Amino acid sequence: MKLSRRQVRDIALTINLEIPEAEIESVRLRLAGMLASMADIEHELGTAMDNTEPIPPVYPHDDFLE
Amino acid sequence: MEHTAQGSSDLFFLSAAEQGCLIGRRALSPVELVQAYLSRIERYDPVLRAYITVCGDEALAAARNAEREIVAGNRRGPLHGVVFGVKDQLRTCGVRTTVGSKIMADYIPDSDATVITRLKGAGAILIGKENLHEFGKGGTRVFTYGQPRNPWDPKRDPAGSSSGSGIAVAAGFSSASLGEDTGGSVRGPAAACGVVGMRPTFGRVSRSGSVMYGWTADTIGPLTRTVEDTALFLHAIAGHDILDPLSSRRPVPNYTAALRPGLKGMRLAVVKEMSQREGAHAEVLRAFEKALAVLRELGAEITEVSLPWTRHAVSLNGLSSDVDVASMYLPLLKTRWNDFDVGTRTRFAAALLVPASIYSRAMRGRAVVRRQILEALRDNDALLCPTGLTPPGIIENNHEHTIARPDSAQDLGLRAGTHPFAIANTPALALPMGFTQDGLPLSLQIAGRPFAEATVLRIGYAYEQATTWHTRHPDLDRTLSGFGGPAKIASEQTK
Repeated sequence: MKLSRRQVRDIALTINLEIPEAEIESVRLRLAGMLASMADIEHELGTAMDNTEPIPPVYPHDDFLE
Repeated sequence: MEHTAQGSSDLFFLSAAEQGCLIGRRALSPVELVQAYLSRIERYDPVLRAYITVCGDEALAAARNAEREIVAGNRRGPLHGVVFGVKDQLRTCGVRTTVGSKIMADYIPDSDATVITRLKGAGAILIGKENLHEFGKGGTRVFTYGQPRNPWDPKRDPAGSSSGSGIAVAAGFSSASLGEDTGGSVRGPAAACGVVGMRPTFGRVSRSGSVMYGWTADTIGPLTRTVEDTALFLHAIAGHDILDPLSSRRPVPNYTAALRPGLKGMRLAVVKEMSQREGAHAEVLRAFEKALAVLRELGAEITEVSLPWTRHAVSLNGLSSDVDVASMYLPLLKTRWNDFDVGTRTRFAAALLVPASIYSRAMRGRAVVRRQILEALRDNDALLCPTGLTPPGIIENNHEHTIARPDSAQDLGLRAGTHPFAIANTPALALPMGFTQDGLPLSLQIAGRPFAEATVLRIGYAYEQATTWHTRHPDLDRTLSGFGGPAKIASEQTK
């Protein structure tokens, strides 16, 4: 995932977050890594994801009642 | 080098169940027990840094009260008089709750987290607030309240984020601890420190009163020296809480009643991708094979299952839970950027910039991976793998790197052993399964169906009773001596 420092700085400014210049690169690398991993996940699971609702698994799991 | 027990009959290394029995028979005073722990903490914790705050006076007062009640014939149960610490992410009435951050250094809550209320109600005594990665997230570079160190080798990482909770139990600084697990923060430190740790099913234990914002994955679980103790502590803290709308109304089983030797009729499956990854340490793999042999001897039928999508668990947790957590810290990041640890603030900042469309897709991805794990659990009573594929690493080498190095993917994969069961929100137990030749702890992970904690504990108990790993404890005079000697301890104590 190509992502420039300037893009990171600009996205951060949309939520009024100013990231010090010295740490922009660290944030850029982290974010680029996260987006790259998502691209990998989309490649492998994309179709299954299209057919699955994003319901958080926080409700009682009645199908596993013992 | 083997660190054998320096006398597992020592008071501070007894299990909580044993301590509770002695207290019930009036063969042990809770005051004596608290004093023994305070003495050890004073001697060794200046190096190990398990605690941020020690509640010595309050603990002694509670112990005297417990003693009075027991002498009067009013013993509350098996935990009356035993001693626990909690990750400093759980609010404690009148005791500061720092969450490992200098920003929260002066925060003193006016109420207890539900789990603490329940343990106090069971008669257990709070001895202190335990060190952690800042705000309960991994990746802290500089610990505001001191670098936590592994009691088996203080150059080594005790893992996180419930670092102090693992150290305290392993080092004999408390009978048990409570930690918090979003991706592996209970099981990781339990594994690295050679103790038992459980992530319960989401909803089994109330989250009320904890400072944590990964609302779809956060759980609170015990760290103990035995599986029986985990059963006892889980029973005490589990159950519906009106203050946590996502806590389950299901009845809480008697977990200790489920503990028995033998596994005849149990179907267990080794998760191929979580047990054979490239870069796995040979001693971990050997210990795991031996653990499987023990489980077979106990009567379990063991097969293998392939769950290839579990490799995405770390990323999916980061793209969802990290975003949830980071969003709550945006106001503080805007005003107090420099007061966050550099590892925390750059991790939070990256999470804050994840587009909503990616977050939504990641939540779908979590559901897909979860479904694969649950399908495997339909045919099997539990899934097995090593908790971690490498022994505890050197602290400096374990600092989280930005994800750009060529070996990052492998690095993440080796640390991914706990995340799949976190995003699936199933119960998972980490327990000792041996030691390396250098005396570093190794850990077995057992994951079960949602709300099947009793089954997971039964398997863990049967394995534990057939092995002796849980009877070993670090000899701190020896391990800390190698780290700098008694002089180092003494000089740290004078600081």
